Amino acid sequence: MLKIKSLHKYYADGTHALKGIDLDVKAGEFVILLGLSGSGKSTLLRCLNRLIEPSSGEIVFNDQHVETARSKELRRIRHRIGMIFQQFNLIRNLSVLTNVLTGRLGYQDGLGALFLPWKRAEVERAQTALKRVGLSDYARRQVRNLSGGQQQRVAIARALMQEPQLILADEPVASLDPATADTVMRYLGELNRNDGITVICSLHFLSLARKYGSRVVALKDGQIVYDGDPKTVDNERFRSIYGEDAEEVEIR
Amino acid sequence: MKGQKKRTQAMGLDILLWIYLGGCITYLVQKWFQPSGDIWYYALFGWIPAVVFNAIGDSPGTRTIMGRKELSWFRSIGSWTIILSVVLTFVVGWVLVEIDPYKFFTRAGNAQHIVSGIFQPNLSLLMPLLKALAETIYLAFLATVFAIPFAFGFSFLASRNLMPRTWLGNSVYLLVRTIATVFRSVEAIVWAIIFSVWVGIGPFAGMLALMIHSVAALTKLYSEQIENIDPGPVEAIKATGSGGFWVWWYAVIPQILSPFLAFTIYRWDINVRMATIVGFVGGGGIGLALQQQQQMLAWRNVGVIIWLIALTVWLMDLVSGKVRAKLLDI
Repeated sequence: MLKIKSLHKYYADGTHALKGIDLDVKAGEFVILLGLSGSGKSTLLRCLNRLIEPSSGEIVFNDQHVETARSKELRRIRHRIGMIFQQFNLIRNLSVLTNVLTGRLGYQDGLGALFLPWKRAEVERAQTALKRVGLSDYARRQVRNLSGGQQQRVAIARALMQEPQLILADEPVASLDPATADTVMRYLGELNRNDGITVICSLHFLSLARKYGSRVVALKDGQIVYDGDPKTVDNERFRSIYGEDAEEVEIR
Repeated sequence: MKGQKKRTQAMGLDILLWIYLGGCITYLVQKWFQPSGDIWYYALFGWIPAVVFNAIGDSPGTRTIMGRKELSWFRSIGSWTIILSVVLTFVVGWVLVEIDPYKFFTRAGNAQHIVSGIFQPNLSLLMPLLKALAETIYLAFLATVFAIPFAFGFSFLASRNLMPRTWLGNSVYLLVRTIATVFRSVEAIVWAIIFSVWVGIGPFAGMLALMIHSVAALTKLYSEQIENIDPGPVEAIKATGSGGFWVWWYAVIPQILSPFLAFTIYRWDINVRMATIVGFVGGGGIGLALQQQQQMLAWRNVGVIIWLIALTVWLMDLVSGKVRAKLLDI
């Protein structure tokens, strides 16, 4: 469903962040991106929906070229790609429900909706999404009063509103404690299994990668250095990705 | 290349500083010894010590710009030159400002009318003055309200993070910023003089003056707030495939609304204060009353006005401070 061909990214300061990424993601996969900070994971994820403009190469999502899509076309592609961020990126002083509903904005045409309340069907859809992440009682709460794990689940509900075929998760658990991290990953895993949503998720924990991933792709200096089954990533390979001194941290 | 530039800057600084020192010295000599004829142009010979000490490598320029600090500060001619210039600035300032402690301590009696006026305010004028005070508060309020839509619109054009980095975007950004800065650096009192001629003396002129100044000031405050928003939500809403307007409406506006309100109330507070000054030069309200009573030397009436202004400013400060703290506590 997603084909990436020799993708390069140069930043304005000359950094060569992606050095020819080739990757084929099949529908239903749960791809874990491993790699040190600065290895290009975030850049790669953001190039896929063009929050960052790639410098060269091809990205094909459902037979549609992302890298050349014009604004309206690009928006339509983005409808189908949910995104989850390390810092949750919710609007902190709005309610949980409104935040979830913003996931549906891509489906609004024109600005008429500005003066109308949200459609009943959309609100119901948002309630259902909140239920799926176990937050149905939180709809009217302000986001800033929620814990980190709860905020990340709101972000997952927001992504669900897009009815996505693909979810990009940029270190979704890096600012959470280990127990909460596992809960958040469990919800992502559930969407992957039950709804058939393809997930590409960057992580730092090998244990979580083994538990939830169906495939591991490791990046080092903007290049793919490993691509395969999570179970075959042993300590030796882990060290080659993270450097000689790396020690695996267990998360259960 | 870079070293050469720094060397030039250091030399420039030394020459300017020594000419300034020469200027200070010739001014003091002229003031105290009153030699016949002008001697100020001797200051221009300041370049000689400047070049000499710069060449030795121990001058203000070499010490600060080129960072050469081989000598500890009390052994270095360079640092003593800096100390000398601060001391001379203080002495010249003392002479220029005509500071006279003797007058301060011996002539307090001259002010006894005003002081006794303040402590025996003429309360029979309270009602008409309250009307003038209301005029001041309301004109400050209207000036703030009228300023909001303009400042709101301009602030987005003056925000680096929202303006596209194209030729047009950069020019609009720079233009709006420059105009706002220029308008802000012209004091409200100057605008009041202009408008008191334009629309006549009275509260309307004062309102216009404060409004112009508020537009410029709020544009700056608002745009700084916009530049400080968390880019995360913007990224997130973009990623959902929403168009530009929705990104602005859901990711930008919720983040800036309460700080905007806080700044606006703060501005109203400032405007009430400025309104009294603006009233002095024809802007109406209690300032105008103060100016009239002062010229009639009616010190007891001035006393009431001073009490009223102090009370209002104190109250506004208290209330706006509380409201702002509440709004900014996100």
